[in-house]
Amino acid sequence: MESLGLYLHIPFCRSKCGYCDFYSVAVLNRPILPLIRALARELENRLAERPGPISTIFVGGGTPTVLPRPELDELMSCLKQVVDHDHPIEFTVEANPGTVEEAKLDLLTRAGVDRISMGAQSFHLPELQMLERLHTPDEIPRSVKSCRSVGIRRINLDLMFGIPGQTLAGWRESLHHAVDLGVEHIACYGLTYEPGTALTARRDRREIVPCDEELEAEMYLAAIDDLESAGYHQYEISNFAKPGERCLHNLVYWRNEPCIGVGPSAAGYLQGVRYKNVSNIEEYICKVEQGGQAVVESEKLTGQDLAGETVMLQLRLNCGIVFDEFLLRTGVEARLTYARSIAKYVQNGFLKVTDSGVALTRAGRLMADTVIADFIDEPRSAPRCRAGSTRRSKWKMENGKWKMRTCRR
Amino acid sequence: MHDSNLIRNFSIIAHIDHGKSTLADRLLEYTGAVTKRELKAQMLDDMDLEREMGITIKANRASISYKYHDQVYTLNLIDTPGHVDFHYEVSRAMAACEGVLLLVDASQGVQAQTVANAYLAVEAGIEIIPVINKIDLPAASPEDTALELEQVLGLPAEEAVFTSAKTGEGIKELLDAVIERIPAPQGDPDAPLRALIYDAKSDPHRGVICHVRVVDGVVKRGDKIDLMGVGSTYIVTEVGQCMPKPKALEVLRAGEVGYILAGIKTIVDVNIGDTITLSSRRAGELLPGYQPPQQMVFCDFYPGPGTETAELREAMEKLWLNDCSFTFETASSDALGIGFRCGFLGLLHMKIIQERLERESDVNVVQTAPTVTFEVALRDGTVMRIESPSELPDMSHVEHIGEPMIDTQVIMPADCIGSIMQLCLDRRGVHKKTEYLSPTRVMLTYQFPLSEIIYDFYDKLKSMTRGYGTMDYELTGYKTGDLVKLDILVNGIAVDALSVIVHRNKAIHRGRRLLIRLKKEIARHQFEIPLQAAIGTKVIARETIRAYRKDVTAKCYGGDITRKRKLLEKQKEGKRRMKQVGSVSIPQSAFMSILDPGD
Repeated sequence: MESLGLYLHIPFCRSKCGYCDFYSVAVLNRPILPLIRALARELENRLAERPGPISTIFVGGGTPTVLPRPELDELMSCLKQVVDHDHPIEFTVEANPGTVEEAKLDLLTRAGVDRISMGAQSFHLPELQMLERLHTPDEIPRSVKSCRSVGIRRINLDLMFGIPGQTLAGWRESLHHAVDLGVEHIACYGLTYEPGTALTARRDRREIVPCDEELEAEMYLAAIDDLESAGYHQYEISNFAKPGERCLHNLVYWRNEPCIGVGPSAAGYLQGVRYKNVSNIEEYICKVEQGGQAVVESEKLTGQDLAGETVMLQLRLNCGIVFDEFLLRTGVEARLTYARSIAKYVQNGFLKVTDSGVALTRAGRLMADTVIADFIDEPRSAPRCRAGSTRRSKWKMENGKWKMRTCRR
Repeated sequence: MHDSNLIRNFSIIAHIDHGKSTLADRLLEYTGAVTKRELKAQMLDDMDLEREMGITIKANRASISYKYHDQVYTLNLIDTPGHVDFHYEVSRAMAACEGVLLLVDASQGVQAQTVANAYLAVEAGIEIIPVINKIDLPAASPEDTALELEQVLGLPAEEAVFTSAKTGEGIKELLDAVIERIPAPQGDPDAPLRALIYDAKSDPHRGVICHVRVVDGVVKRGDKIDLMGVGSTYIVTEVGQCMPKPKALEVLRAGEVGYILAGIKTIVDVNIGDTITLSSRRAGELLPGYQPPQQMVFCDFYPGPGTETAELREAMEKLWLNDCSFTFETASSDALGIGFRCGFLGLLHMKIIQERLERESDVNVVQTAPTVTFEVALRDGTVMRIESPSELPDMSHVEHIGEPMIDTQVIMPADCIGSIMQLCLDRRGVHKKTEYLSPTRVMLTYQFPLSEIIYDFYDKLKSMTRGYGTMDYELTGYKTGDLVKLDILVNGIAVDALSVIVHRNKAIHRGRRLLIRLKKEIARHQFEIPLQAAIGTKVIARETIRAYRKDVTAKCYGGDITRKRKLLEKQKEGKRRMKQVGSVSIPQSAFMSILDPGD
C-alpha cells in the first residue's frame, strides 16, 4: 500500500545561515501564535480530505525547536488528533544543536515524536563558522545526549562536505565523530551554492574559494566507504542508515508517493497534483484565513513529466527504478522509453541492471544529474511526430537508436 | 521667380558629437522653418537609434528661406553622417553642394574626423567655412581651435565663424557667411535635364523618394524621366522640397535641391549617384557618379534563440530595401547552421545594422567575429578575394595572401603618445608622420592592416587617452603579408567557424589566447577535451578541458522536486541549442571568442 506523508514547515530560525535557501526568517520577538493558528487551520482542511491514514510526519523548517515552549506545545496539540487517529509509524522533528533543552524535548516525546533530525553539519569550528552556524562542535554530543535522556530512540545527524577550507581528513573526522555518537542515521550533503544565497554572493565576489571538485568527489566516496564499514548503509544519494533505520518520511518523496504539505512555502503532492504554498508568513496567514489554504503554484503531473520526476527521484535510491512498479505509478514502460539512456549508461558503468530494473552504480552516483537529465530528455528528443500524423510509424528503435524504417512493398 | 543666384547648397561636416545636429536645428529655428514647439530636440535625426547613439546615420535635408540685404535666399542644408564608417555618404552629400560648414567643438579642438571630412571637401573642390561651435562652454578655447584648424588644414584662422548652437550666438553671422562665401550654384536651366540622385529613401506609402540636386534643366510633375545608369523610365508624380516637412512644388530647376517621386517601387531600382534626365530630351552625358559603397568588414549573422532563418532573411531584406549600404548572402556553417554572410562599411556600421535588425524586426541575431577580405594569389596565377577563412583554398595552391591596408590618423593629447605608439606597434602599425597640432595635442599617421583595428583598436585608443583620442582611416589597398590560417581543433576535430587568418608572428600568441577563451566557454564534459591550435598539421598551442568529476544534486525533498526537474530539462534544452562537434557541445558564445584580439 502507498504511504502518505505529512510535512509541516516552521519558517523560523535563530538566524539565517549563509548557504540556506529554504524559506525561513529570524525568530526575533515576532508574534508566532497567529501563524500556528493558520497552520492548524490549513492542517485541519488538508486532513479532512486525506486519501488515507497518515503514515509519517515530518516537522521541518527553519528550526521548529526555536519556537518558545507555549507555541511548540500549541503546534504539537494540533498534530495530536493525527497521531491518535492514524498511528503514524514515524514522527520526526528537525532541530539544531543548542536548541534542544530537555523541557522542549520532553514536550515533543509526549506528543509522539520518536525521531530527531539534527543539523550538526560539522565537528570543526572554522567550518561551522564558514557556514554561519550558531552552534559549536561540543554542543552536538550534548544535544544528542539530551535527546536520548528523554527517550528519543532515533536520531539523524546532517553533515556537510565540500565546505571551503575543509580537508579530506577533517571530513572523515566529522564522520567518525557522528558514528561514535551512535546515531541511527547520517545524511551527508555536498555544499551547494544555491542562487540568491549569501554564500553564493560571497563566492561570486571571490571572498571564498569553493572546494576543489576532485576533493569533493573524494569526500563523497570516503563517506560511502567509511559509513558502510561502520554499519551505515547508503540507501539514497545523500542518506545512510543502520539496518531498519531509513527515514520513512523521506522515502515517501523518493518513491514519489503522496504527501501533504502544510505551512508557508511547504510543497505537497496529492492526487497527482504538486502544489506549493506562498513563501511569506503574512501572506500565508492572510490566505489561510480567507480561503483555508495558501497554494500559489500547482501543477497536475501527467505523462512524461510524471515519468521524468519519478525517474529523477527513484534513481536517487540505491534500489533504483523497479520497472513494474514504475509502470503502475506512471503508465510509462521505462525499459522502452529510456532504452537509449539505459544502454548508454549501463555500457559506461554509471548504471547497473538489477533483478527488476536499473540503479546507479557507485561511479554513477557522482554523476547522477547527468544520467537523470538524459533520461528526462530522451522522450523529448526522440524524432517528433505531429499529432494525428502517421509519421511515427516510420521510426523504430534499433540497438538503442531511432532509425527510419525503410519501406518495402 | 527663379534665380539661381539666390540659392546656396551646403552641408555641415564635423567630428561626432561636435554639435552638428544642434546647429542644424538652430538654423531651422532661426530662419523660421520650424517653430520652437515643432522642434523636437535634434529634428533632423529621425531614427531612434540615431538619437540614442548620437550619430546621424542617413543624410537628411532641409530647404530654408533666409532674408539677406532685402533678398530672400533659399538655403539647402544637407545633413551628413559624422562617423568614420560613412565616408561614402558624406561624399555623396558633398557632390550636391557648393560648400560645407566645417564644424569644430571649441572645447575639444580638431579631431580625426574633422580632418578626414575636411580632406573630402578639399577633394570635392568646394568652399569650406570653418565654424567654431560650443563657444558658450566654460572649457571652450575658440582662438586656439581656430589656430589648430589653420595649423592642420591651412584654413585661415581669421575666416572662422564663432557660434554657440545652444544659445544661438553667431547664427546670424553664420547664415550671412553662407550667402557671402558659398558660391551660388552654376548650371543651365535651358539645357537638357541632369539631376544627381544623392540619396534615396523608401517610404511605405509613397514608394522610393529620390533626393536630387538638379544640375541642369528643369523637372516637373508629369515628366517622363530616364534613370540613365539603370536605363529605366518612370513618370514623375511629384517634385518638392523638404522644408523640412516635404512640400510639393511646381518644378525643380537647375541649382535646386529637392525630391522626386516617380512611382519607383523599391530602393534596389535606384542607384545612388545615377543621373536623371528627360526621356523626351536626353542629356548627353551622365554626371560623374559616386563610388559605390565598399564593404570592408564582414561577419555572419545567424538566427539566435527563438528566431528562424526565414524570419531573419525577411528582416534583412526589409532593412536592405531601406539601406542598401550593407550586403548579405546566404552562408552556412558546420557549426551554426544556415545564416547570412554580411558586408559592412566598418565596425560601427555593422553594429548599427545588427541593432536595427533586432529593433525593427524583433529578431535575435548571433553575430560571428568580424573579418576582412583577403586577396589570395594562387600558384596558377589567378587572384581571388575571400571573405572568410573557410573559403581559403588548400595552402599548397596559395602563392601569397594579401590583406587590406589603411592609412590612419590618430589625434590625442601629447602625453599619451608613448602608449599609443606602443599600441600601434603591437598592431603591426607602420609609422608615417607625427604632427603637433598644438603643444598639447598631436596627430599620428600610421599604416595598419585593417584586420588589426577592426576588433577593439578604437576602444583601446579611447581608454588609453581618457576618451580624448580620435581616429579616422582610409583604405589604401592590399598588401602581401606573411599570413597563415590558424585552425582550432576541439577534441581532434577542426571547427570551421573558429578558423582565423593571422600574421605568422602573432599565430602562437593568438592561438593561446583563443584556446584560453574557448576553455572558459565550453563546459566540462564527462571526458577530457583537448583543444588545439594548428597551422596546417603543426600544433602550436594546446589546452585541456578537464572531465568533470561530480554532477549530483545533494538535496531533493518535497519542495525541490518540480524545480529540480525543470532545471534539468532547461539545462538539456540549452545543450540542445549548442553545436555538437563530435561528442562535444560548444555554446554559441564560444564562436564569439575569436573576437578576442589576442593581447
